[in-house]
Amino acid sequence: MTLWLVPVLVSVALGLVAGPLERRLPPATAARLLTVSALVSALATGLVLGVAGFIALSQVPFVAAAGQWSRAALQHGRTTQLLGAFAGIMVIALLGRAVHRAVEALRHLWAAEATCRRLGPDANGLVVTDDSVPDAYAVQGLQGRIVVSRAMLSGLTAEERRVLLAHEASHLRHRHHVYLQLTQLAAAANPALRQVTEAVHAAVERWADEDAAAEVGDRPLAARALARASLLRHHSPTAPARPRPASALAAVTSGVVSRTQALLRPAPRPRHLLVLSTTALVLCAAVAAGLTAHVTEDQFEVARHVLHHTS
Amino acid sequence: MSTSARGRGELEREVLAAVAAAPAPVSANDVLRDLDGELAYTTVMTTLARLESKGVLTRQLDGRAYRYALAGDPAEVDASLAAHRMRKVLESRPDRAGVLARFVADLSDEDEQILLALLAPETELRAPASEAGSS
Repeated sequence: MTLWLVPVLVSVALGLVAGPLERRLPPATAARLLTVSALVSALATGLVLGVAGFIALSQVPFVAAAGQWSRAALQHGRTTQLLGAFAGIMVIALLGRAVHRAVEALRHLWAAEATCRRLGPDANGLVVTDDSVPDAYAVQGLQGRIVVSRAMLSGLTAEERRVLLAHEASHLRHRHHVYLQLTQLAAAANPALRQVTEAVHAAVERWADEDAAAEVGDRPLAARALARASLLRHHSPTAPARPRPASALAAVTSGVVSRTQALLRPAPRPRHLLVLSTTALVLCAAVAAGLTAHVTEDQFEVARHVLHHTS
Repeated sequence: MSTSARGRGELEREVLAAVAAAPAPVSANDVLRDLDGELAYTTVMTTLARLESKGVLTRQLDGRAYRYALAGDPAEVDASLAAHRMRKVLESRPDRAGVLARFVADLSDEDEQILLALLAPETELRAPASEAGSS
């Protein structure tokens, strides 16, 4: 019966190791690995909770009659039943959250698409705005646009501008928003994975940084461009002062600083052992969920036989 | 070591960025000087002409050469507004990261000091080698 705890524990573990993994793995590997891991863990957790809930439901006389199985054959302890009922309520609530998140993601994609269409003429995706605030971002939809203000462009050298453009182009080319939206979906269905979302967010930024550094073939230049763009934005009189996060998470407060420092170090090497052990961890969750479903199916099979042979 | 060759898409973006970065309308020669490197004059000229035909840039004959500037027509103003509104809408939500990826986040004063130190040419560009090395 402890089998169904495995996906839950794996999700909690994944939430704990997501940050360290993101800092050690090459960012593209980290983003892919963490996104797939989050999705598999969320599905496995949903499955075991659903099964537990269904077993609790099977004890309701009306349901048992409709399903034609023996309640006695499925009888578990009182606490197991209570836990099952709790799991059932949980899975419905979490499913609701996931659906809500999916709808939100689609709405955002739609908004991004609409904005892209309104942005007017572009040069291969680049739109320059006559904005006095130095800013640069990628609007990621089906086609996507890179939006940069003149104030940002005029504050950088030609080589630094090239880094900035390459960074944003990497977001669009590799569809980084898909990784973010999928992990957000997984985290909505399984709150234990919330930290994975933050790690994937950091990973896609680092991924774009590494792409930009490779494009210009000069890591210190990429670091300088990033630092100078941040300072430009910080010093603009209209830039909003960053509000201090209430629950000060030290890890997320200095994204730009850690990205700059990462660019000043050599590019991260592939770490096969880390990837393999994470994959093994997530496979445990998938196998446990599969086994739970299988064992439960067998139990119901038995319960059907019992009913037919006693009546 | 050598920088990779730019694709046509990258080139168009860089040329547009160079024109937009300049305080006044620029000629193909100005752009070439700004972008430096291995670009040919004709490449820059063709790119500028293409951007003009797309409606991203406007040009005016100045003596014997064209000078290019960012197209500032009403459509562009509308684009700025749309971009601004998009930012506002998405920034108000905690999950804006989904479709909006910003190059730089807002800094705290401590972050600023660290970045300034990293940028200073006298100090060696060095970062704590915490997680590097160990396999």
